[in-house]
Amino acid sequence: MQFHSFDESYLSRLREADFLTQEHFRKYFTALMKMKLQFRLKSAEAIDDVQQETFVRFYAALREGKIRQPKSLGSYVNSICNNVLKETWRPEPTISLDDDEAPELPSAPVDLSKILDDRQAAQKVQEVIEQLPERDRRVLRDIFFEERDKDEVCRELGITRDNLRLLLHRAKQRFKHLYDKGDDSRRLISA
Amino acid sequence: MDHEMVAAQKMTERYLLDELAPAARDEFEEHYFNCAECAADVQAGALLIERIRDGAIRGPDVQVAPVPPVRPTPPAWLAWLRPAFIVPVMATLLAVIGYQNLVTYPRLTRQLNSPQVLAWAPLNLNTYGSEGPTITAQPGQPFLLFVRTPPGGPYSSYTAELYNPAGKLEWSLAFAIPASSQEDRLPLQVPGANREAGRYKLVVRGITASGESKDIGDTSFELQIQK
Repeated sequence: MQFHSFDESYLSRLREADFLTQEHFRKYFTALMKMKLQFRLKSAEAIDDVQQETFVRFYAALREGKIRQPKSLGSYVNSICNNVLKETWRPEPTISLDDDEAPELPSAPVDLSKILDDRQAAQKVQEVIEQLPERDRRVLRDIFFEERDKDEVCRELGITRDNLRLLLHRAKQRFKHLYDKGDDSRRLISA
Repeated sequence: MDHEMVAAQKMTERYLLDELAPAARDEFEEHYFNCAECAADVQAGALLIERIRDGAIRGPDVQVAPVPPVRPTPPAWLAWLRPAFIVPVMATLLAVIGYQNLVTYPRLTRQLNSPQVLAWAPLNLNTYGSEGPTITAQPGQPFLLFVRTPPGGPYSSYTAELYNPAGKLEWSLAFAIPASSQEDRLPLQVPGANREAGRYKLVVRGITASGESKDIGDTSFELQIQK
């Protein structure tokens, strides 16, 4: 895993609209915002809307010279995202498929690079899952796939919530280790 | 919130398990937006959970039963070597061999080595108008035929053939009579097979030096089996 800090050089390249830097910025913060927004928004479209609005506001602030501390870049993006969320977050309307008056929506464009990344990640995850002990697999399946109550699952299998965190920690570490053995292009949101 | 505290308190796992209160969650998000290590940590966990939600872990109800290995089928002609067949066959053969060695052969040996009185009868060839003698023998025991052959003749050897009551040839015996012999009766031992009672026919042929065969004569006798 690469460690990095956003520095003045990085910020300058962003101001100069350097393509590679902008791509990195977009990918990096898209991933972070997705994780954050998944707790608050149900639909992928809503999450995407918030992400896009956050980037629009960020680049506007960058052009206006409001962003001066490169080390606070992450905090700044997070703040904008929180603001967008507060302004736009409201109960999502349920769209009936039988509603003839519903507007016809264009299909989402296919992002091939995303599909490839997803497949690579899925393959790695599968390898990790197959190496897990049977009990661990059952716990993870019951909680995340069956969406069962965590306390109930822990009680049933005779483990504590601390054990549950440790179990998830071990699985995650194995995944990170396996993933980082790959080439740089496949590293998790690295700089 | 610093990185050490995040790691020590397993904040990433708490976050992914949705165990954090809203304020703590906001604080942790503020942290990982600025900490590449924690960001990667959260992303790894999130990817893992996403795949599990997509069904990456199969439930016990849909697990595929292991397929038993396929055993090569032996050729059909080797089917009789199957243990289910060959073991009882071998056991039966052993029992038969054991019975023969322990019972049958000793009894036969005793019979051969013991003196015994055999049934017998004199036979004359070409005795027209006679039904021949009657021989009473024990079941399975041999008996003797004293066959009178015409003296002289250009024969270097003879054959005697015995036909059973059904007219089938039972055995054929080649023999020679030395020229110096003064006896005109030939003793023939008829083996004691499980012979059936009835009228038997004996045919004697002479073989010349050139190999030509010629009937000398025949006769018959009545065999009775003692019960």
